[in-house]
Amino acid sequence: MDGRVIVITSGKGGVGKTTTNANIGTALAKEGKKVVMIDTDLGLRNLDLLLGLENRIVYTIVDVVEERCKLKQALVKDKKNPNLCLLAAAQTRDKTAVTEEQLKDICEQLKKDFDFILVDCPAGIEQGFQNAVAGASEAIVVTTPEMSAVRDADRIIGLLEAKEEIKSYKLLLNRVRPNLIKSNDMMSVDDVVEILSADLIGIIPEDTGIITSTNKGEPIVNDEKSLAGKAYKNVARRIMGEDVPFLNLEEDNSLVGKMKKFFSGLMGKEK
Amino acid sequence: MKEIFTGIYNKVIGFFKQTEPEANAKDIACNRLRVVLMQDRTNLTPELMERMRKELVELLSKYVEMDKEALELNLEQDGDQMALMLSIPVIRAKDAEEIEEALEKADKQSENTEDEEESSDNTDEQTAETESDEKTEKEDKSSKCKDYDEECAECNECVVSDDVECEIKKKKKTSKENKDKN
Repeated sequence: MDGRVIVITSGKGGVGKTTTNANIGTALAKEGKKVVMIDTDLGLRNLDLLLGLENRIVYTIVDVVEERCKLKQALVKDKKNPNLCLLAAAQTRDKTAVTEEQLKDICEQLKKDFDFILVDCPAGIEQGFQNAVAGASEAIVVTTPEMSAVRDADRIIGLLEAKEEIKSYKLLLNRVRPNLIKSNDMMSVDDVVEILSADLIGIIPEDTGIITSTNKGEPIVNDEKSLAGKAYKNVARRIMGEDVPFLNLEEDNSLVGKMKKFFSGLMGKEK
Repeated sequence: MKEIFTGIYNKVIGFFKQTEPEANAKDIACNRLRVVLMQDRTNLTPELMERMRKELVELLSKYVEMDKEALELNLEQDGDQMALMLSIPVIRAKDAEEIEEALEKADKQSENTEDEEESSDNTDEQTAETESDEKTEKEDKSSKCKDYDEECAECNECVVSDDVECEIKKKKKTSKENKDKN
């Protein structure tokens, strides 16, 4: 087996890297792929929480690097899906505990047993970022339609382009709010894609379900009704090479939205 | 009365038009981002852009008469390609004579600046020469050094400037001090 190593990065913090990682990983595993997720955010680990695995972690990536355990011992299996594993970050150490070479080596070893290795990158462009990117050959840049997130994404794209190992990178636009875009209060998907001139791999709508799913420790792709979950599943299928059209987020299904539509229909085309 | 009616009319129209003429938040964000990203990507600060603008005005005004204030210079992204967009409102095309005149003027100016550079070079050389003269002609003792005496003739350091104390002078001083102490 020769797995694909994909780093999920963003530059800015809080745009949904870890959420994206948990959901794409779960979605890929649901499609029957063998997936391992590596949390490289040493000192600020969170991927375990989003997957609900925080109580099952015995060994971390630092234990592997410092040879206190074997790599396979440190892999935590998901509660529901045996195809999904997590290699957790150490919470008590900082970014210097693991080097680029060591991470590269871990990725190489995992490639043999897994289809996908998803590397969760810390925020920023310092050593933590350099480490996370070291073993990867593909990247997903997560951003939101906000100025600061787009600016940071542009910086990250610049750094990724300078890396020879990164063969391709794709943009994932998170927390999109169709209503705000409609009223011209938020940058549209097209605006962001044009400004960053990067290929898009997914558009994820803002979804309050994310909060409850995080609280429960269960990725939102497990919720069949959720629009964000559906969008993440589509991202997973696109990663696997399928040609999946983007979801139509314009349709506002809330009660307010329906009422607005009704009234705007009554008013006719005044504009 | 008329004024009141037009006022009400404008208000009603304004209400229906809502805030159309105002730029919306999305466009503001896009434009601000474009400017900021261009600076991030190119290292061209606003000061440098302004300087480039001024230099372009200077250059182009030789050939056409234009509205110097309205010249716009922007970096824009066109797909993968970055482009320098220059918009020049031309007031009037200059005729051949005017262009020639401007060019001659510019040539003269550049000659002058070259001359200045050359002359400044010359002065540099001259000063260098004078320094070397002072060093080589040991017999010609200038009175630059206040405590110059004949023993100093062996080393010439203090002649060059007041600040340098030659070895001999130092020795003298120390011996004097020793004597005083005794």
